[in-house]
Amino acid sequence: MRRKAMALGAMVVSAALLAGCSAGSNGSAGDEGSGEGTVKLVAWPGPEGDAMSKVVDAYNAGQGEDDGVDVELTLLSRQDTFSKEAALMASKSSDVDIYFTASYNIGQFAPSLEPLTDIDTSAYFPVAAEGLTYEDELYALPLDVSNHFLLYRKDLTDALLSDPAAQAEYETVSESVLGEKRAPKDPAEWDLDDFKVAAAYFSKSENPDSPTEYGTILQAKNLLYNTMIWNDVLWGYGGNWEEDGQAALTSDAAKKAVELYADIYKNGWTSPDSAQAEFPETQAALQSGDTAFAIQWSAAFAALNDPAQSPDVAGKIAIAPVPGGKTHVHALAVSLNKYSENKAAAKKFLSFLASTDAMTQYAQAGGIPPMPEVLEAQAAVNPAFAQVSETIDENGFSEPVFPKTFQAYSKLAEDLSGAWVGQTDVDDALETANANLQELLG
Amino acid sequence: MPPTVAERPRSSATERRKRTTAAVILSLPLILFAAVFVIYPLASGALTAFQSSTLLDQSNEPNGIDNFVSLFRSDGFAKAAGFTLGFSAAVVAIEMVLGFALALLMNRAFPGKKLFFTLLLLPIMVAPALLGVMFRLLLNGDIGALPALLDSVGLSVSLFSPDSVVPLLVVLDVLQWTPFTFLIIYAGLQSFPKELLEASAMDGAGYLRSLTSVIVPVLKPVLFAAFFLRAIDAIRTFDVIYVLTAGGPGTSTTTLSIYIYKTAFESGDFGKAAAAALVVLVCLIPFVPFIVRRISSTGMEAKK
Amino acid sequence: MSVLVNDSTTTAAERPPAKAPGHRRAWVFTIVAGVIALIVNVPLLNAVLVSFKPDGEIAKNPISLPTSPTLDHYANVLYASGYDFPRFFANSAMIAVGTVLLVLVIAIPATYAIVRLNFGGRWIISSASGLRLLPAIFFVVPFFILFSTLGLADTIPGLIAANTFLNLPLAIILLSSALGDIPQEIEEAAAVDGASIYRTLGSIVLPLLAPTMVAVSVLVFIFSWNDYLFALVLSTSSATPVTLGAANFITSTGIRWGDISAASVLSTLPPLLFAVFAQRYLVSGLSSGAVKG
Repeated sequence: MRRKAMALGAMVVSAALLAGCSAGSNGSAGDEGSGEGTVKLVAWPGPEGDAMSKVVDAYNAGQGEDDGVDVELTLLSRQDTFSKEAALMASKSSDVDIYFTASYNIGQFAPSLEPLTDIDTSAYFPVAAEGLTYEDELYALPLDVSNHFLLYRKDLTDALLSDPAAQAEYETVSESVLGEKRAPKDPAEWDLDDFKVAAAYFSKSENPDSPTEYGTILQAKNLLYNTMIWNDVLWGYGGNWEEDGQAALTSDAAKKAVELYADIYKNGWTSPDSAQAEFPETQAALQSGDTAFAIQWSAAFAALNDPAQSPDVAGKIAIAPVPGGKTHVHALAVSLNKYSENKAAAKKFLSFLASTDAMTQYAQAGGIPPMPEVLEAQAAVNPAFAQVSETIDENGFSEPVFPKTFQAYSKLAEDLSGAWVGQTDVDDALETANANLQELLG
Repeated sequence: MPPTVAERPRSSATERRKRTTAAVILSLPLILFAAVFVIYPLASGALTAFQSSTLLDQSNEPNGIDNFVSLFRSDGFAKAAGFTLGFSAAVVAIEMVLGFALALLMNRAFPGKKLFFTLLLLPIMVAPALLGVMFRLLLNGDIGALPALLDSVGLSVSLFSPDSVVPLLVVLDVLQWTPFTFLIIYAGLQSFPKELLEASAMDGAGYLRSLTSVIVPVLKPVLFAAFFLRAIDAIRTFDVIYVLTAGGPGTSTTTLSIYIYKTAFESGDFGKAAAAALVVLVCLIPFVPFIVRRISSTGMEAKK
Repeated sequence: MSVLVNDSTTTAAERPPAKAPGHRRAWVFTIVAGVIALIVNVPLLNAVLVSFKPDGEIAKNPISLPTSPTLDHYANVLYASGYDFPRFFANSAMIAVGTVLLVLVIAIPATYAIVRLNFGGRWIISSASGLRLLPAIFFVVPFFILFSTLGLADTIPGLIAANTFLNLPLAIILLSSALGDIPQEIEEAAAVDGASIYRTLGSIVLPLLAPTMVAVSVLVFIFSWNDYLFALVLSTSSATPVTLGAANFITSTGIRWGDISAASVLSTLPPLLFAVFAQRYLVSGLSSGAVKG
């Protein structure tokens, strides 16, 4: 017993000594700094990180020299970037000067960010800048826009549209799926019912002669990004998250949106594995030629159309607006850390990023900058730019920005992903999701 | 039982003091390390559990038991605990049996033993975070090797459908961690007194009987060590499941670690995450001395 | 003394040769062990296969051998991707080796003091084990704050400390269990001969503990080499280990399967080499040899 006490005593004393030494070096409110020196910036790997890295190199070699600022880019993996940033913010760290943020988490991160003043946002898509404005202050510079498209096998839909026998078969499928005979249409004109019939028609379970195993692939994994895709369907049916601050997920539209997923899943018009599918699985399904079409992120098109990466389908994939005519839009962005100790220098780099010159470099390096003017001017760089510009203008919507938007995406994925794959009851799931959303709306 | 060092009659007061000094000196590295890297994080983490510490409210004001109340108000935590216990029980039971069997199998000379011994340990050398990604490719219904292989022999499987995903996760865990129980039990077998086995063989006891009446009792501390080490890691299971299912569909595969991770990093509620971790600790800690006693029984009991 | 030692610690590393099975029966075990080894390694074998396939072939031929094998993915991992993997590997190696050493230096004397000299009592072992029960996430933020204060954030010593923290319980549990198996008479005999406690520990107990130390080293090396969560939070750029570097191939436009497979294969090699090196001690059952020698 005595030894026990001694051991414990020794530990406590040493801990106290240590605590004494270390007290009080945390929680400073940041500093403007000298306006020169190293600025640390975080991004994630992928086209955004690659493009950013080229812009940073150009800055460091050019204007950075004049500014006396050297920018250091750190890439974190896509799935961990926000976790790492959350940990840094929770400990009020000054390690990173410029955070990588997005419309969907700006509300949650805002307390750790410095509002950006004196930035002219007129060159940006209004929806992009608005999505980063929280309590009337701009908390981030838009960097890259993301939205969804219907990516489909044009060779297969063309074949369908030019073959009367196939059209007759399509109408039969349509009758059994919708209860009405619908003729096949060009995917650019699909509504969500056409989407459903086509999913059935291109599935072996419904149509043994189908050229593909499955019509589509749903992204039904319990993941916040998959909520964003499901939102297209919700909005497409005329639904919404909330009306005047009241959660609205018990609406008919919401019910129809979940049922669309559940019907497709239960009938085998998507792979059973799509219960755990997200971006990479959707790419694999399209790349392998097993699947005819999918609602997928704009950034996916390049790889699918690249013969080196997708030899089976390159050149056969085309882009159409999401059926139902609505696409989620968010901006990836960069924000200033409130606890940064070199804010003045960081602001110099941010001002540079906000210029059309920087965004032109960014577009040329593979990013999708949120400036319509730049997208139009650089249409030669990426043929999708024109479509992105048009789609965002015409079909884009953005979910409400409130402090807990990020949680709401996660929570909806958690509450609904079971119902998407027919594991839980649709009404119960929506009931739960609605209650949780209401709580998060505050 | 022979008298132990401590009880030897010739131990004098000086002797005892010497031993105490030696004990302190030998423990000093542990004490210093614990003081810096254990006590502080533990205290600070425990304190967080009683504070309002979210990304939206970083005031760190004490908020009493609010975090605990919010933890138990929804059923997410309880569900995660239930899944974690069930999952851990299943995988640890299977891994113990298979690891033991494998250790017995390998505990003999045969051609190629060294090579296969190493190969059997290989799965634990792959980082779980990367292994999850490897599984995602291997098991992918469109481009994965395993479904393609099964397909080529006429078997169509959907490994990730809601009905098969839990058994799948159990199998994957067993594949990765049976080598761990195997290694520890095998190491224990190496110091197994040979004459005990020979004696039981002379008795004419069958292999099974000598297994249950001789090997298992003697190996008990090692078996408990393997069980315990594996169990505490199983309860913390995170990487592979998080990469493969992110806890879904719904919350059906959410482990406690995934729950806590999401609470901290998705909801940004570090106070509630710390509260959840603390509850887990408080619920499990009573079992620890019970098990530790069994692990160190031969050495420690001798002194009593 | 030698009689005493032989009596109590002769081991059965291999099955008694008296009952040595016929040659044919031994091959049965080779086949069984081979099949099991194959099954548990399917994910890694698949990674090896994928790592040699060009991107286009990965989706096209899931089971076949690569028709036009490529080393591009290895080139990407090692230099071509713009990530500094040689440094990530060096970081991982320093972290893992440093952790093994620190864990042994702390755990061996302390376990001896606890088990043999009754220091503190079993509650230390219990609470050390209890620590491992807490999800690492619990400690992530406190560690981060502590490390920032001590200047250990994003440094190799910092990650060594974090991994030591994670692996000490494992070492203490395994060592205390092994120490319990060593008959105390040996140490008593040494004490009678006038050896100090330190000498008894160094020259009598350590050799007896060697197999367990090797097992602990292998496990600690593996676990610290493979750590992800602590590395994620505690490193930013200069202390990034391989596990974290490999995650860079999980991009916002999908997973670069070939590259991450190559990275996984390469990152498995150092722990493998370490285990092969250590295996001699594990398999031959050093326990008996060391005592006799």
